[in-house]
Amino acid sequence: MSTRVLEFGGLAAGFCGRLFRHGGAEVIRIEGVVPSVTDAWVSQGAVDAFLHAGKQRLAFRGRDQLLELAGSVDVVVAEGMPEELEALGWDAIDGIRVAITPFGMTGPRRQWHASASVLLAMGGYTYLMGDPGRAPLTLPGHYTEFQSGQYAYIGTSACLYEGQDHSLDVSMLEVVLSLSQMTTVMWSCNGDVRSRHGSSFGILYPINLFPCADGWFHVNVVPHFWGPFTQMLGRPDLEDDVRFASSRGRIDNKDELDRIIFESLGHRTKAEVQKLGEQARVPTGVLQEIDEVLADPHLAERNIWCDINGMQSPSLAYRFDGDLPNDFIVEPIDG
Amino acid sequence: MANGPLSGVRILDLTHVWAGPLGTRILGDLGAEVVKIEPPMGRGPGTKPPPGVGIFLGGDAGEDPWNRQGVFVKLNRNKKSVAIDLKAPSGRETFLDLVRVADVVIENFSARAMKSLNLGFETLRDVNDQIIYIAMPGFGTTGPYSHWVAYGPSVEPMTGLGAVMGYSPDEPRNSAIALPDAIGGVSGAAAVVTALNRRRETGTGAFVELSLHEAGVSFHGDFMLDRQLGQDPKPIGNDHPAHAMSAVVRTRGEDEWIAVSCRTEDERERFESIVCDGPQNIDKHELTAALQAAGIAAGPVNITPDFLADEQVEARKFFVELSRVGQPNIAFPGNPIVIDGEFDHPDWQTAPLLGEHNREILTGWIGYDDEVVDRLLRDGVVVERPPG
Repeated sequence: MSTRVLEFGGLAAGFCGRLFRHGGAEVIRIEGVVPSVTDAWVSQGAVDAFLHAGKQRLAFRGRDQLLELAGSVDVVVAEGMPEELEALGWDAIDGIRVAITPFGMTGPRRQWHASASVLLAMGGYTYLMGDPGRAPLTLPGHYTEFQSGQYAYIGTSACLYEGQDHSLDVSMLEVVLSLSQMTTVMWSCNGDVRSRHGSSFGILYPINLFPCADGWFHVNVVPHFWGPFTQMLGRPDLEDDVRFASSRGRIDNKDELDRIIFESLGHRTKAEVQKLGEQARVPTGVLQEIDEVLADPHLAERNIWCDINGMQSPSLAYRFDGDLPNDFIVEPIDG
Repeated sequence: MANGPLSGVRILDLTHVWAGPLGTRILGDLGAEVVKIEPPMGRGPGTKPPPGVGIFLGGDAGEDPWNRQGVFVKLNRNKKSVAIDLKAPSGRETFLDLVRVADVVIENFSARAMKSLNLGFETLRDVNDQIIYIAMPGFGTTGPYSHWVAYGPSVEPMTGLGAVMGYSPDEPRNSAIALPDAIGGVSGAAAVVTALNRRRETGTGAFVELSLHEAGVSFHGDFMLDRQLGQDPKPIGNDHPAHAMSAVVRTRGEDEWIAVSCRTEDERERFESIVCDGPQNIDKHELTAALQAAGIAAGPVNITPDFLADEQVEARKFFVELSRVGQPNIAFPGNPIVIDGEFDHPDWQTAPLLGEHNREILTGWIGYDDEVVDRLLRDGVVVERPPG
């Protein structure tokens, strides 16, 4: 890709730039232009390695520098508060540009103070996560920022394909709102408010995290997996058990079903449970600690790891046949 | 069909459930001509479900429940529908004729599904060497997990999120909202636009693979790097490692909350002075306004009627009402990519009926006579309703 990208701002802009860089574009990042609109869960070293490896990094020297660079690239990616971007001369920038802001460049709340937790709450995600009767849970990490960066990437890349200049406006709140699974239609169609059920789904069971000998496993037993799941449990007799014969029955008898699951699988290791799920053809996953993800044999065989300053970092979500992961280094900030 | 920068791009969309249709919805919103290639039973049987089962427009399954499923309609606006039995020889040939004139084929079946139909990438490339093929299997097409049955919620704890989400290290939790699907869906759209631009430079099509598992892992790479830098991230509930205080706080009413992020001790002191009488005595919207006025990041934990009525969301016209004759008008989430300040979408179309565009696409894209289309319909190779 012969594209040149100018990027400044926080995590969302950084993720957008990461997608461009790993796709072969030249990415120039200016550090210190505007404060980050959200805060990192990880160290600056981890942020730099994950998001900014391979980018040319410049220190911010003022509005003139920024505008001059903006005029020399194909795409400008910015993240900040609307008034800050406008003060920098955002509207004077031609070409393909995208502004990523917490609430959008327009509207009565465009200058509201934000965090990822606030955006997830206002966007309808938080109410759905965690246990009933307890405080709902937010998401750790940077889901909101990275999804916003992806949308910015998609929009600007579409403009590159078209070959026309456009000004794009991506609101992080709207990103969250766009990614509801069935929350809005449950309300609009049935008047139902989707609620939280811990790690479970609520209307179908068993879908949950369960303890086992060395950690936790997850099964996603929608109705047509019930028969295979009874095989996984070593309890084929349960397939026709009237207590569990329907989704409603499995929910109504959840406590007894949980006891049976624990009795059958609770003493097994994660690896054993995974094997049983594989054999029974039941959607099964195990809760992996970070070290386990880094050492996962499937990911290793699929060659997903980039070398970033001697560390493992995942490559992009998508892979072109024949492409190898990009090994980058984190460049020092110039100036 | 929507107008947008991807106008002229032809996409054959074989995706189903959430991740795939989410990705192709983004592309349709940006102007691509997305044609859903649907199996005759892809939307379920032609019979009405029992009362109270399912999510249907207006709460009513109607006489054509396969055209009224709420989640399907939400995900499939700005798309067209051709319903073909790909297992029938003439159905397969019709599909290959469509591939000849398409830009992109995208699917999210299991790793072996398309090859088992003899419609894998190599076959499609033989009829169109410019074709971009996006495969979205749960665990990829290679590797020891590639044959595992993958659903987003079961993939999620294997992405790194499972290690850091929960009330405490002893109380891990899944999101229960299938995050790998949402990540994979948006990543799928990113893969398509990347491939289109790349084809401009290389002159050839490509096979692109995107696994839900790796999409989820790619979103948590920062935690993995932090671990290698000596940190040990664990679940910390609603706290935030960089904030003086971060919490989800109870407010007045049943199950009402706000999210608050106090970055500094000064902000925390301001928060505590505002809620000195107890936040559980204050309405969440009033408390949000007070905290925002004090310079503190805060927002209500919204349910659907809350965010539908949010003044910022309304001002930016984010929710879009779409309908057709005989169906109720419903507001659906829009596309967060606003282009050139355009918030109105008069060109947007609601989701297609099953097989609604059979004739339009088969005659318009590949020049089939009406007689050929009629024969395919008579033979049940192409359908306009589920068989039976």
